[in-house]
Amino acid sequence: MANYFAGIDVGSTMTKVVILNDGIIASIIGPTGPEQRRLANKVMEEALRKAAISFQKITYIVSTGYGRINVPFSDRQFTEITCHAKGIVNLFSRAKTIIDIGGQDVKGIKIDAHGKILDFVMNDKCAAGSGRFIEVIADTLGVPLDKVGDLSLQSKNPAMISNICTIWAQQEVAASLAEGVPVPDLLAGVHKSLADRISRMVNRLKVEEAVIVTGGGGKNRGLLKALVEQLGHEILVPEEPLITGAIGGALIGKEIVEKAKQNKIPLETKERILEEIEIL
Amino acid sequence: MAEEQKEAKPKKRRTATQAAASIGPMVKEFITGTLQARAEGKKKLAYTFIVCHHEDIFRAMDVIPVWTENFAGICGAKRDAERFLQRAESLGLSRSLCTYALCGIGFDQWREELGQMPPDAPWGGQVRPDFMISSGQILCDPRSKWYQASQQFMPDVPIYNMDLPYPLFQRDRDHREVWSYYHKYIVKQLRGLVAFIEEQTKKKMDYDRLRELVDLSDRTWNLIDETYKLRRAVPSPMGTGDAMNTMVPIAFMMATQRAYDFFLDLKKELEEKIAKGEGEVENEKYRLMWGGGLPAWFALNDFNYFNSKGASFPVETTYRNVEPLYEMDIPETKDPIEHLAWRWLGYWTFWYDKAKKRPGSEPDVERLINWIEEYKIDGVVMHEAFSCRTWHVGLIWQLHQLAKIYKPIPLYVMGKDGKKEKVYRELPSLILESDIIDITSYSEVDTRNKIDAFIETLESIKSNRAA
Amino acid sequence: MSDKQGNIFSVIEKYYKDYGLRAKALKDEGKRVIGYICSFVPLEIITASGCIPFRARGNIHEPITTGDTLLETIVCPYYRSCFDLSVKQRYDFLSGMVIPHGCDSMVRSYSVWSYFLPFPYFHFVNIPTVCDESSFEFFNAELNTFRKSLGKFVGRPITDEDLFKAIRVHNENRDKVRALYEFRKADLPLIPGTELTMLLTVGSSLPIDEANALFDQVLTEIKQRGKSPLKKGPRIFIDGACLDNIELIKLVEELGGNVVADTICNGARDYFPKTDIGGDPIDALAHRYLDKINCPKTYRANKAGTFEGDIASRFGDIGTYAKEFKVDGAILYVYKYCDPFGFEVPARKAYYKSINVPLLHLEDIYSAGTIGQLRTRVQAFLEMIG
Repeated sequence: MANYFAGIDVGSTMTKVVILNDGIIASIIGPTGPEQRRLANKVMEEALRKAAISFQKITYIVSTGYGRINVPFSDRQFTEITCHAKGIVNLFSRAKTIIDIGGQDVKGIKIDAHGKILDFVMNDKCAAGSGRFIEVIADTLGVPLDKVGDLSLQSKNPAMISNICTIWAQQEVAASLAEGVPVPDLLAGVHKSLADRISRMVNRLKVEEAVIVTGGGGKNRGLLKALVEQLGHEILVPEEPLITGAIGGALIGKEIVEKAKQNKIPLETKERILEEIEIL
Repeated sequence: MAEEQKEAKPKKRRTATQAAASIGPMVKEFITGTLQARAEGKKKLAYTFIVCHHEDIFRAMDVIPVWTENFAGICGAKRDAERFLQRAESLGLSRSLCTYALCGIGFDQWREELGQMPPDAPWGGQVRPDFMISSGQILCDPRSKWYQASQQFMPDVPIYNMDLPYPLFQRDRDHREVWSYYHKYIVKQLRGLVAFIEEQTKKKMDYDRLRELVDLSDRTWNLIDETYKLRRAVPSPMGTGDAMNTMVPIAFMMATQRAYDFFLDLKKELEEKIAKGEGEVENEKYRLMWGGGLPAWFALNDFNYFNSKGASFPVETTYRNVEPLYEMDIPETKDPIEHLAWRWLGYWTFWYDKAKKRPGSEPDVERLINWIEEYKIDGVVMHEAFSCRTWHVGLIWQLHQLAKIYKPIPLYVMGKDGKKEKVYRELPSLILESDIIDITSYSEVDTRNKIDAFIETLESIKSNRAA
Repeated sequence: MSDKQGNIFSVIEKYYKDYGLRAKALKDEGKRVIGYICSFVPLEIITASGCIPFRARGNIHEPITTGDTLLETIVCPYYRSCFDLSVKQRYDFLSGMVIPHGCDSMVRSYSVWSYFLPFPYFHFVNIPTVCDESSFEFFNAELNTFRKSLGKFVGRPITDEDLFKAIRVHNENRDKVRALYEFRKADLPLIPGTELTMLLTVGSSLPIDEANALFDQVLTEIKQRGKSPLKKGPRIFIDGACLDNIELIKLVEELGGNVVADTICNGARDYFPKTDIGGDPIDALAHRYLDKINCPKTYRANKAGTFEGDIASRFGDIGTYAKEFKVDGAILYVYKYCDPFGFEVPARKAYYKSINVPLLHLEDIYSAGTIGQLRTRVQAFLEMIG
């Protein structure tokens, strides 16, 4: 009988679900929105549809991410740090340093060969050190967020932008734009600024290769280029950087089930019902 | 080539005096001197801090001081501190701590890791010392923890940490009731310093030489005070911008003939300027006091900006590290160490008696009031540097208290009965915010806007001033 | 859980939430309550004068407002909160305030405190930074200055006999705290960290003999406690400055950790060292407060000549606690803008590594608003060592 495991990563902007047994069967990425609980249900339903299995068939569910405690149907919750570590080492066996660049925070994680966490650092206190920084500037410049990376690569002369305060940077960018500084230069400057901030934090871990970047920031080629320059290390990126947390969650669930079987301990799981959640 | 980029180096700053202009090369020569001395290996080099009243001891024993605060300031002024600050952060140190110390520790760790100076180290870099002399106590915590943190990377370099306390001001107590046991302690700590240096250098202290040097620094103190008092002239011949340069001999070259001669020259230069009616500013409209705070070393150009608006800075509290010996009522002694300890206490308690006489006053506030009157000051500027608690905590309160107990500006306002009334208002003040060397804390646009607004306030007071 | 047990802890919770309740009542009875901050204030001298020492607290749930108009924001955030509450008149029942030379934040804001608050008595105790023989000589004189000043305020000099009595009572208090900590050594600690820290916090707001009576009651209750209220989890050690509230410890225990030991002010740092009996009482106090209290503010010379030797000597007490309480992991909790602890972070990190205790380093700003961020870090740490 096949065992299915689900990982659900409720981030500040996106909710991701992965269902796997031996390999990934389905993965869904949907917007989180303000009603986390309801949307967690919706995304789970979509994933089940894609996997063509019923909710009852899922052996174990792990939730993670910023909204992990708001997933009533998950059997256990773990931090994104633990889940990303597990997910990444599964995709990259040589991984030693992980950098997760999200919309609201950035994390640096050092792991050993088994994906066990050795140390971690986080920045979740300030917009200027997270993906939000890029979002605000992209908005100021009127450039779609998914285009900023590639556009910034066209720059021959990155502008110098403050990285201490998103508001200051916004003002600087607006002023520079008025003076005629080309948009690619401004974007390159902003990426450089964020990369500097990120590497400052990550350097507290003593970066070792292989370095993996995941999260939304992993899709931004301009940011990746700037990071390579700042860190002085090669960077690898998973094919779909947004789901590594959910993958890790599912894998952790798999480990928990196997361990329970080995040690003959009963498994505690929630009732497999996806209720309609009333919004208060 | 690329279009004009944002300047990596600041524009060359104008100084009001030639003496101030001569400082840059002096400091560079000094740094180069330390590197040379290290290479020659004949004299001992020691990391140490300013305002410890121990230069006389160092000079008497031919120990070359390596002023770590100075080096950090140089990195800041050259706008090349960030990479050392980041290094310190990577070790686990918080950016909220004293950025001088972060810069120093970051630099030291890097130098020790490489086994040589970090690439493009400012002016050749900070030399590896033979020992480190620190001083915590009332002055500041980082001065007690900094070298201890650096020692992690230089475990073979010993530290002597001396306690140099002074009695805090308490209105209901005469400091003379306690200062004899303070004196006893300070003397023992200084003697401990001498013993430590004797052990490190394998030489004995020459007390005659020490006596001479202490006498020299006493005379230098008095000379500096006389020289700076000349800035009371209208127009003022020299401003705080210059003083941030001329602090070098005060802080880094005390107890040397060179420092004394420097101030002889400066005094002469100021006297000549006063005779010609030459001021720091051609058309002096406002006289300001730098009431507190270490300067933003990367933004000293802001003083020129003030100048361009007609504002001069006849006096500052920062780095005015001397008071005239002849106005201190300290006991006489032939022992140079005991005299140094009395000078220390005399300096820190200098304004206590005066402060007690004025209701609501306090030594720092008292000093502000006295200098506002002596130097004919129109407004006070304070600078809050986020990483330094020692010199910046209490500035808001000082301005508050000053405004409460000192209202010297007569203004006419419309009274209740429609007639003009004469009221007395407090002096206007301005608080600037950034840091000593962390340039990311500074916004030039924001600072200059603040200065413009302040100038407008000063102008409006000037035009509404009652007779 | 017996009825009586519920009773004593609900009393404690009452005094914790309405901090100063007892002190207000004592003030109304005509007693003098003297406020203090920091472990370095010699409490025995206050008790010996007949006054009641009262530890001022901040409040992480209250945004700092009035205080910020008078004091810069670059000081220790915990201290800022204490100051804010003081100028908001929460501590109006105090007859005075004693502030030691604990750190720059305290020293540099002394004028602001003494000019703004209406208390009739203010005193600054200048604690030496180094620990030489001459430092003890100086500190003796400084303590006698405090003794004289407080004696003048209460209207009669403080005698050696008064001091001996006070030392005895305060030492008893410390013995009782040690006894409480013994319950944490069990495989499953009989007293959770939240209860213990709440108790110690309340204790520092009571006259010492009332605190002693309260601790006795709790000791009796705990002895009768058959089962621990905790579920077994990683045994956690808290390292830091003043933790005057239970939020961090509550978070750790909610997430499955067992907080079993610490070196915090309002914890082992304050309560484990005892004052020596016999000889000059002032000298005994000087030795306890300057030498026995292990705080980063005190500079200890490197006698070993190596880094490893230095940290083993400076932080050796942590290693002892780690063994005694069988610690699985430690949390180093440092406030932003804290110089004494801030500069020691690399050395402390190296020390924990040398004794093979995993460490989580947290920098915080003393506000309930950061609990969410702390939660992720603490949980990830517990997952890491679990």
